[in-house]
This record gives sequence, structure tokens and C-alpha cells, in this order.
Amino acid sequence: MSSYTHEQEALFSAYTRTTNNWGRITLFAGFVIATSVPFIVLATTDANITVGQILTAFVAVAAVYGAFYVVEPVTYFPILGPAGMYQAFLIGNIANKLVPSAIVAQSAIGAKPGTRKAAYAATAAISGAAVVHVTSLLLLVGLLGTWIVSIMPQSVTEVARVYILPSILGGVLVQLIATLKQARSTVIAIGVALAVVLLVVPNTPEIVSSFAIALCVLLTVAIAWFTRTRDPAGEEHQGSLIN
Amino acid sequence: MIKAAETSTDIEAIANSPLLWILAVAVLGVVLLQSAVYMSAVRKNAAGADMSQREVFQAFRAGGVAAIGPSLAVVLVAIALLPLFGTPPILVRIGLIGSAATETASASIAAGTMGANLGGDSYTQDVFVVALMAMSLSGACWMISTLILTPILSRGQAKLTKVNPMLMAIVPSAALLAAFAGLTVTELPKSVFHILAVLVSAVIMAICLWVARHLNQAWLREWALGFSIIGGLVAAYLATN
Repeated sequence: MSSYTHEQEALFSAYTRTTNNWGRITLFAGFVIATSVPFIVLATTDANITVGQILTAFVAVAAVYGAFYVVEPVTYFPILGPAGMYQAFLIGNIANKLVPSAIVAQSAIGAKPGTRKAAYAATAAISGAAVVHVTSLLLLVGLLGTWIVSIMPQSVTEVARVYILPSILGGVLVQLIATLKQARSTVIAIGVALAVVLLVVPNTPEIVSSFAIALCVLLTVAIAWFTRTRDPAGEEHQGSLIN
Repeated sequence: MIKAAETSTDIEAIANSPLLWILAVAVLGVVLLQSAVYMSAVRKNAAGADMSQREVFQAFRAGGVAAIGPSLAVVLVAIALLPLFGTPPILVRIGLIGSAATETASASIAAGTMGANLGGDSYTQDVFVVALMAMSLSGACWMISTLILTPILSRGQAKLTKVNPMLMAIVPSAALLAAFAGLTVTELPKSVFHILAVLVSAVIMAICLWVARHLNQAWLREWALGFSIIGGLVAAYLATN
């Protein structure tokens, strides 16, 4: 980090300031608009529902996802960094779209993981992904959605719905391994994932499955940390602060 | 139990008002605004990371191209769910912020508390409003939590990095590998077709990356994910149909 000049440090802190401030403002704006939608529907229809029904439904949903409200931001923070957090949690589709895009971009320009260049590349990549995302939604869902649904065979949409995630993850995992080139962490991560998902989750109470990914991250990071090669020169820039 | 008989099941009638369309477009606008501000921050300060303007554009393009495959998939799923939620709520909830899987599960759980199923006769306007409300409040919790936790985590990170710089060199990549290894392994026990999709996608990626490196086809790095996704889906389709 000492290899940056004074001017470069100033530029980087300007970048951090802008992305943090605007990240907060835009995420908050997205939150307000998105949350107002159901209240407007409620106000403009003569729906016959009670606050009790809404609370019951919300508690039932929160019982499943409540842990994720906290676990997900904490899990993704070391991967995304502050700037990327505000992008990711506004746009959603983090694991299936945004992080893969960032990995592809870093690999495309050969940004060494752990450097500022990798962080910048990730921000630019997520911005590019966001433009494609919004355009595809506006055109294909907003404008043409009703027409497409009438011509698309049921079997195609069904396959896309059920198998999209495994079809994305297989490729992303390989690209990630190829980009990071960290054999030790890769072996640890896969070993931990197999153990947690195939051994721990099926043999523990249901609630543990909500924490499965967080558990994978925690254990892998801990093991990678305690088994690290204590040669700072060799691994100083090997980290991968994506953003 | 629920007054399904006396309530309309016409969701489009209440989910398509002009005001909702304005809000949906506004949310998309917020995303574009954020991206524009972030891009100009990267371009203006690129020299701070020894990055050329060409590389900034390359990264932007690579991210966009890599997002084409996943975007089309999300579009396909969103379209399939249009009759359940109406276009503007789909644009706000499934296209942004949430993901199709989370939102569908949330809506289905919420409908269940009213003794109803998504779609079908029990899915009345009342059930829709309650489900949309529960999905939206749940999504709101996620965003509030991110707004609160990010500054706290940033401070913690800054402190930890000062204490031991090695920490930031090891933690992020280990976390990234662990998250995606965990997500991928989670798909495996679901069915033999899920395993097939993961394997086909992984093999296509490996081939693309090998060709990209050894035959010097840099563009393939950007398109590889799209090919992998299509390959995985086609394999799953052929195997199940």
C-alpha cells in the first residue's frame, strides 16, 4: 500500500467518499420507493385485510429469512467492500449476477486480487451489470413480458426456474478458482463446504441451514488464516478485496 | 376460512395502476443513477489505482457482458411469475433488491398464513396484498440492516487492517471461495439433474478459460459465463424432457 503516491491516496479517498455517500443515499431511496409499493396497493384497493394478518405473514417470512438480514451483509462484506455493498443490496441478485460479473471483469483486465485496481474493476463491472440488468428488465419484462409469457413453452420457463442457479454456480466456481489462483484456500473452501453442507446441515436442527453459507465462510477464513504461510513478501498482495 | 368466494382473484386489476408503474420506473432510475455516479467516481479517480481509462471501460464492458446470461435467466423467471404479482411489483421486487427464489418463497409463506396457495382460486386480491406486504417488509429489513451494518463493518475492517495487514490479504479471497463453494455444494443434493447442471456449466467454463489462455481469445473470458449457463440449462432440459 505504501507504493501509492500522495496524489493517488487523495484520489482513492475521493473515490471512497463519493461511493459511500452516494451508496447510502441511493440505497435509502431504493428502500423508500420499494417499501411504499405495498402501502400504495393497500390504499388504492378496498382490500379486506387486518394489521394482524400482515404481521402474521411478516413474522412467518422473517422466521425463515430473519437470520439472513444480518448474516448476508456480514458474509458479503469482506467480498464486496463498502462501495459494493450499497450496489449489491440495492440491485439484489448478488451471488448469481453481480459477484460473477466482478470476477469476470477482474480476470479480463488481469487485476491482481487485493489491489485497488481490483476494487475499481469490480465497481465498474457491477455498474455495467446494473445497466444490462435494468435494460433487460425494462424491455423484456416491462414492455414485452406479457407477450413473451404467451409464446414461451411452459417446459422452458420451468427448467430455467429450477436449474438456473446450479447452471450459474458451476461456471462461476471454476472461474473464481482460476482467477484467484489460491490452491490452499480453494482446497480448504471446498473441503469445508462439503463438510458443512453434506454432513453438518442434514444432522442438525433446521435453523442451522440458514447459517450454512456463513458457517462455510467463517470456518474457511479461520482455517486459511491459521494455516497461512508466514512469508509476508510472498502473499502480501494475494488477497482479493473485490471491491 | 378465507372469504375467497366473495373476493376477486384478478391480481392485474390492482397491481397495474399508473402510480405503481411510476414507482417501478423510479426504482430502476435509482439503480441507473447509482451506477452512473459510481462509474464517474471510478473514471475520475482511476489514476489512484494505477488504472487506465481503457481498463475502466474494459471492466465495465466485461461486467455487462457477464451479466447478460444471468439477466436473461432472471427475465425468464420474472416473466413466469408475472400473472402472480403483476408487472410493476415484479419489476420492483424480483428484478431488483430480491431474487426470484427469495421472493417467491416469501410470498408463498405469507399466503400460507392465510390458508392460501400462490395461484389458483385461493389466491385472492386480499392474499396478494398481504403477500406483497410481507415480501416488501422483509426486503426492507435487508436494506436497513445493510445501511446500519456497512459503516460498522468498514470501521472494523479499517481497525483490523491496521492491526494486521495480512488479514485483508487472506480473508476476502477465502470468504469468496467459501461462499461460492458452499452455494455450489448446496445445489448438489437437490437432484441428479442439479449435479448435471453444475458439472456441465463447470466443464464449459474450464474449456472456455483454457481456450482463452492458450489460443489468446480474451473475449472468451467475458462470454464464458453466458456459454456455461446456457450449457447447464440445455443439459438440464434435455435430461428432464
